[in-house]
Amino acid sequence: MIRYILQRLAGMIVVMFLVVTIVFVIVRVTPGDPAAVMLGPDATAQDIADLRSRLGLDRTLVVQYLFYIGQLLKGDLGQSIFLNIPVGTALLQRAEPTFFLTIFSLLIASAIALPIGIYAAYRRGSLIDQAATTLAMLAASIPSFWLGLILMQFFAVRLNLFPVSGYGGPGSSFGERMYHLMLPAVALGLVSSALILRFTRASMLDVLGDDYIRTARAKGMVERKVVLKHALKNALIPILTVLGLTAAVLVSGAVVTETVFGLPGIGNLVVSAVLRRDYPVIQGALLVIAALYVLINFAIDMLYLLVDPRVRY
Amino acid sequence: MRKKLAFLMATALIVAPSWAIGQEKGGVIDVATIGEPPTLDPMASTADLVGIVTQHMFETLFTFDDEWKVIPLLAETMPSISDDGKTYDITLRQEIKFHDGSTMTSADAVASIQRWMSIASRGKQAAPYIATVEATGDTSLRITLKTAYAPLLSLLAFNNSAAIILPKGNLADPLTEIIGTGPYMLKERKADQYIQLVRFDGYTPRSEEPDGFGGAREAILDEIRFVPVPDANTRLQGAISGQFDYTDSIAPENFDQLKASTESQPVVLKPFGAPVFVMNMKEGMMTGKALRHAVQVALNPEDMLLAAFGNPEFFAVDGALYPEGYVWHTKEGIERYGSGDPEAAGELMQEAGYDGKPVRILTSRQYEFHYKMAQVAAEYLKAAGFQVDLQVFDWATLTQRRADPAQWDIFITHGPFPADPALNGWMSDSYPGWWDNDAKHAAVEPFLAEPDLQKRIELFGMVQKTFYEEAPVFKVGDFNALSAEAKTLHNVKASPWPYFWNVSTDKK
Repeated sequence: MIRYILQRLAGMIVVMFLVVTIVFVIVRVTPGDPAAVMLGPDATAQDIADLRSRLGLDRTLVVQYLFYIGQLLKGDLGQSIFLNIPVGTALLQRAEPTFFLTIFSLLIASAIALPIGIYAAYRRGSLIDQAATTLAMLAASIPSFWLGLILMQFFAVRLNLFPVSGYGGPGSSFGERMYHLMLPAVALGLVSSALILRFTRASMLDVLGDDYIRTARAKGMVERKVVLKHALKNALIPILTVLGLTAAVLVSGAVVTETVFGLPGIGNLVVSAVLRRDYPVIQGALLVIAALYVLINFAIDMLYLLVDPRVRY
Repeated sequence: MRKKLAFLMATALIVAPSWAIGQEKGGVIDVATIGEPPTLDPMASTADLVGIVTQHMFETLFTFDDEWKVIPLLAETMPSISDDGKTYDITLRQEIKFHDGSTMTSADAVASIQRWMSIASRGKQAAPYIATVEATGDTSLRITLKTAYAPLLSLLAFNNSAAIILPKGNLADPLTEIIGTGPYMLKERKADQYIQLVRFDGYTPRSEEPDGFGGAREAILDEIRFVPVPDANTRLQGAISGQFDYTDSIAPENFDQLKASTESQPVVLKPFGAPVFVMNMKEGMMTGKALRHAVQVALNPEDMLLAAFGNPEFFAVDGALYPEGYVWHTKEGIERYGSGDPEAAGELMQEAGYDGKPVRILTSRQYEFHYKMAQVAAEYLKAAGFQVDLQVFDWATLTQRRADPAQWDIFITHGPFPADPALNGWMSDSYPGWWDNDAKHAAVEPFLAEPDLQKRIELFGMVQKTFYEEAPVFKVGDFNALSAEAKTLHNVKASPWPYFWNVSTDKK
């Protein structure tokens, strides 16, 4: 077990190193220049060259890469060119909206998908099953940002129940900030629920046909207990996997949804950084996102141990 | 006692500027902008967004009135200029406070102008003409030029790449503390969330009536919050729902939606600026004047503007470099303004010996109207016989590519009508496009050196004529800009750089 964990950790370090290198190269070979963006449309070539030199962008790629790796080894993600603050601080500032957006979206998605998925599997072929499968297909094919726009139009513009965008002004309370997350969370939650619902249904269908379920029923066990205790527990592994992957996607920033709703989250930060060519922020954010992906996958693997005693590492 | 009170009230009525009477202080407004400004140092960037936000915190020695004439702001009066146009004596306003409580002196002004000359694009443009900047007293300074340079005051008055006055102890680059003399000061900046400005109680407005960016600036609102909303549709919905008090940059096709809103109303800035096709005169096929003329003749500005802006209320087919209403407006040379005649263009191309190489046009969808114009232009150029290679990039990539003369033949951009024609990008020899030849210098140099405005207006006629004969740039036309203001907001003036001093709100 410990050996397995150590192996996974070593693998994570290799993955991180590859991510750092690939992102560094991609960012530098992409056309565009932070100095030109910063100086504005009327800047001369000489102004741009001067600023590039001040930012250290005129050094060779190898020198820049070695300098960056040296910084990372010291735990420093670098300094944002545009925000003029450390990249770590910028990421921490954006963590709250993304974190809570992830949590709310997952809660909404799970609250919809798990009960309906279980019921649809239990009543396979029924009207509810067919309706759930069709709706899930529909939800899976709707882009979350489009659904967000529809929700915005109806609930924010027409009914004026929610703000159109933003994350609360200066001095806004925690409650106010969470209120700003409701529409994007519903949009993301509804779309994410489709995949979770389909996995839940499929996984439950697999399990409900197993011998031990028949045995439980033959022993006269209450049907609700059969489904929720025996079947669901054994169907959880694929469900956990899809929940984890959904969380990883959301935590890495629901890029378009955050942009549409003007949420200052990780996804929004990455989009802005790409448009501004803020190299340190792009590199730092993608590194942290990759780390989160790897860690969430690792956590899911560890959760398998708790859910299924047959799993051994 | 009653008599005394009546006297005091009467005195107050005389002393208070008429526009300020009845304006009760208070209120907080949210201003939706197109994004997060790349910096809060207005010297360091020419971006309009930087100017819009920072002009509330920082001030320049001079500014522009309603007719884009230069008027004093931190300077007490207009400068005294020597007859040869080489010496500018400037007197500063007395007892002007910075946001940190210190008092502005000529030492601050001299140090700030020197910083501007070394780091700001517009400062660098002026620097070769400036011999010295020196204090001549506690509140007076002198700028001595090597040769007369008439655009100097306009450059000093601009609000982006701006010659702002900073405390001499706070001149770091990049700027670490946001300390200016403006009516509002920075309270908090949360990048991509908001920039919160609050009233600066130590501000002393000028005594004149408000006039454009000049005159009295009164901080009536308690707070202004600039909220970056990069998504254009979200900005529109925020305006319609009443979430934003002022919303910058809305697509013209949304005009009717805004008009129907119960919360907001449209603000149309007419005209805002001009889209332009800049031709590469340093390298490639457009170095030949005949092919530039062929482009000029082939393009149909009306079709391009219609595709770009849809509603004819939002554009004007006008070849003059400055529209009517500007002192610089002239019709010199505009007979060459695009006639949309591909056949005639084809003949010019044959004469020029066009070899069939594709014209590389750089454009960006970050400004959708650029892209739409490019598509129409490409069709007209193809009809004339050009091979066209339309290259679409994000704006950051485009600005990088255009710096390399080997990579393009035409790029598309746009700009406002700067108060002094010398501030147009193409006036600079080093601006991408690199219009730098004898014909240009013969027209532009006398214009830059002439201090007398009337004579300069006449000389600009020659500049425009040369512009059309040389065709370094194809001016497509004029376009208007659409913004939105809440119906609760008062006294907002349509401007390329909207400002919110002297503005009040019913929302308290």
